Amino acid sequence: MKFMENTKINFMKFKSFGFGLSSVLAFGSIILLLMGVNLGIDFKGGTAIGVSFSEDVSIQEIRGSLKSVSLNNSIVDLSGEEIKYFGSQSDVMIKIKSLDNEPENFGQIVINHLYDSMSAKTPENKNDFILSLGSVSPKVGSELSGKAFWSVVSALVLILFYISVRFEFRFALGAILALVHDVVITLGIFSLTGFEITLSTVAAFLTIVGYSLNDTIVILDRIRENMKSSGTVMFESTINKSINQSLSRTLITSLTTLFVIIVLLVYGGEVIRPFSFTMLVGVIVGTYSSIYIASALLATIYQSSNK
Amino acid sequence: MDSSIRNRLLTILFVFGLGIYALLPSLRYSLMDEEKKSNLSDNQIDYFESRSIKQGLDLKGGIYIVLEVDLPQLIDNLAKNKDNNFNGFLIDLKNEYNNSSSDFFTVFENLADEKELKLPRYFINYGKTKDQIITQLSLQSEDSIRRVIEIIQNRVDQFGVAEPTIQKQGNNRVIVELAGIEDSERARDLLQSTALLELMIVKNVESTNAIIRQIDSIITASNVNDVEQNDQINELFDSSSSSELGFSSLLISVGGNLAIASEDLTALKDILSKEDVKQILEATNSTILTSDSSIKLINEIGEEEEFYTLFHLFNNAELTGGVIEDAQMRLSQAGVTAGQAVVEVEMNSEGSREWARITGANINNRIAIVLDKKVHMAPVIRSQIFGGGTVIEGLDSIEEAEDIAIVLRAGALPVPVTIAEERTVGASLGADSISKGTLSMAIGLLLVVCFIVFFYRMSGLIASFSVMWTLILLLGVLALLEATLTLPGIAGLILTVGMSVDANVIIFERIKEELRNGKSVRSAIDSGYERAIRTIVDANLTTGIAAAVLYQYGSGPIKGFATVLFWGIIVSMFTAIIVTRFVFDFVTTRKNVERLSI
Repeated sequence: MKFMENTKINFMKFKSFGFGLSSVLAFGSIILLLMGVNLGIDFKGGTAIGVSFSEDVSIQEIRGSLKSVSLNNSIVDLSGEEIKYFGSQSDVMIKIKSLDNEPENFGQIVINHLYDSMSAKTPENKNDFILSLGSVSPKVGSELSGKAFWSVVSALVLILFYISVRFEFRFALGAILALVHDVVITLGIFSLTGFEITLSTVAAFLTIVGYSLNDTIVILDRIRENMKSSGTVMFESTINKSINQSLSRTLITSLTTLFVIIVLLVYGGEVIRPFSFTMLVGVIVGTYSSIYIASALLATIYQSSNK
Repeated sequence: MDSSIRNRLLTILFVFGLGIYALLPSLRYSLMDEEKKSNLSDNQIDYFESRSIKQGLDLKGGIYIVLEVDLPQLIDNLAKNKDNNFNGFLIDLKNEYNNSSSDFFTVFENLADEKELKLPRYFINYGKTKDQIITQLSLQSEDSIRRVIEIIQNRVDQFGVAEPTIQKQGNNRVIVELAGIEDSERARDLLQSTALLELMIVKNVESTNAIIRQIDSIITASNVNDVEQNDQINELFDSSSSSELGFSSLLISVGGNLAIASEDLTALKDILSKEDVKQILEATNSTILTSDSSIKLINEIGEEEEFYTLFHLFNNAELTGGVIEDAQMRLSQAGVTAGQAVVEVEMNSEGSREWARITGANINNRIAIVLDKKVHMAPVIRSQIFGGGTVIEGLDSIEEAEDIAIVLRAGALPVPVTIAEERTVGASLGADSISKGTLSMAIGLLLVVCFIVFFYRMSGLIASFSVMWTLILLLGVLALLEATLTLPGIAGLILTVGMSVDANVIIFERIKEELRNGKSVRSAIDSGYERAIRTIVDANLTTGIAAAVLYQYGSGPIKGFATVLFWGIIVSMFTAIIVTRFVFDFVTTRKNVERLSI
């Protein structure tokens, strides 16, 4: 089957447009992120409760029920916390910020309160009512986010080092910038959806990093190979040639990956949805960035250093 | 068949065989129905459980709890001659430690320096210099954690959970994973209960009344002070909130005992934490505790009110849980408690002797059975008890009685533990994730296979074969490593499949290019592979570096992801470079292939 063979697309012609688009997207994403990322309890502590009612409920009903929850002989108002549907109209996810002097079994108290106060709509067995319960103390939360942050940073630094050794520093710079670009823009789009960032979404972001890196290296490898014959003269055309040569591979791989991800998004269920969505955005952005960030930056760097 | 081909075939068959062998127990176990599973002997179950790929709690349902040993409390317990200075230090220590990420004893040492706290004054039993004391204290804390882990292990074993995981994290945390547990509330209580059993003599009515009068006078005195300090206007109002009228106004008499309404418990706590009140209690060597269960009464306007009984006790316990040899839940046979769940406790010989002495010396006094600072019952000692048997009554349910018996048998925790992190996944959500995840993986794989077969024809079939083996071998490695598959792990699987497809695509595109440049099939395959391998190795190694770093520094789910990714890279390089190459070589050496279906 012939597919995208011997293409001669002048990718670098749209370089400035690519930079412009990426800058706008990245800038917009950073603003969105500064406005507030929806961090899950993993990173800022708190309690998340998932419950399954036996019939559809309205969010208003639950807010009403949470208006007065008795805790430690005092009454607290939890109706202002984040409440949303989880998959269907009968399953609900409630996220509660950590309180001062929170009792140890806080999540269970809230579950028991909902179970008793909305007894008309709860399943008979309480164990069927509880979908999930998570609670993270603020101390552990800050430790987890610190760990996640530093593991990603140290991975990026080591990759920079490896590519510098295998290729050269200028290649590594382009590759790392492309990775940062992918993660920032995906994070930005992610934050628009209202999904929250949990340890699992961090895993999805790492998958994007892995995927985008793979993509970038394949093209950079081609550029390195073609540079042996053509040197750094006419650098843009060398890059164009390399991208064209690996274009069918880039598209076929991206398409196959997208198939799997779209299936996951449609059939994968609620728990995995934020993950699949992140991957969907990430793969598209990652494919684009291998061409217009990693390679185009390389062209720009070479041009300016040759002058 | 030349020898290079034969050797490669043998290597590949060996690796495939190993993969199948590693995966076989998981396959057999997951295909077994419940009935067959229940017929397995314990040894067989152990074999299958340890050789199968475990599903993480996010897939299977269960509880993950990180318990943190309350180190400030341990320091408090170990200290002697505590004064205000020390108590202030302890409060600061707690706050400082909660807000810092450094080691507890570093925080302790810095704060002690800063506050110029004379450690030998409080910890003379642990050394004469600061360094000695800190070393000894940290040894004590390590010892406590070891005991906490041991005791929790004991409790979990007796609770009967399949494959519990209990491990130490850092130097003050214990991770407990209980798969498949449904009643999270019960499990949590069981893990966390300090189970400190104390037998304490109840003070007589006269001294109790005396202490109530004393506390009353302290409170009224401090109220007068408050009022004097406040604006004069306050005196114009007749403030009649209960706490200002003193301690006795909170109390009512229920069946010969003092009791306090449930809504006044906070007020009681406030009163008891007043410095002056503490001093009075200390001077009379006594303490005030409330009952574990409440009594419900109907008040004059027909509302139901809850009351807790109040006890005034000698502060030092006559006996503690350490002397307990056995504790069992029983249904009481006779008396007013007939049919109720009780816990029968048996003591060791030393405990029995003590128990006989205590009961002998306190005939007609009441003895309170106190569990975790809550009074469960306080019967009157009618006669001396020999043989060390005793019964704990006043429990709410059979489950509660069973759990108390378990914790009493397993021993008391040396220090209280708090829950730092908890994740419970209901079995239904986990099962939903698994079935949907498996279904979409299957559909996804099918689509990928169709797609590459459509593009690359015969070669696409070879690639599909290699991707399939990548999955089988990777799962085999995970089974051998006894790794746990979690949701992020599945993400790693997907990335691996993607990279494995990609490796094949890179190779095929190269071969096609070589063919377009006019090379023969044989030499196109050779040079195509040669050139593609460099690309694949570079791409995979870079990702491999990322995986290794994440494994090293990541926690929980990220670690699981990294494990799968790391091995996925190794396996997919093997299948793409060695296995498919072998198939191509095998076909092209046997007959002279003119055209490659690619």
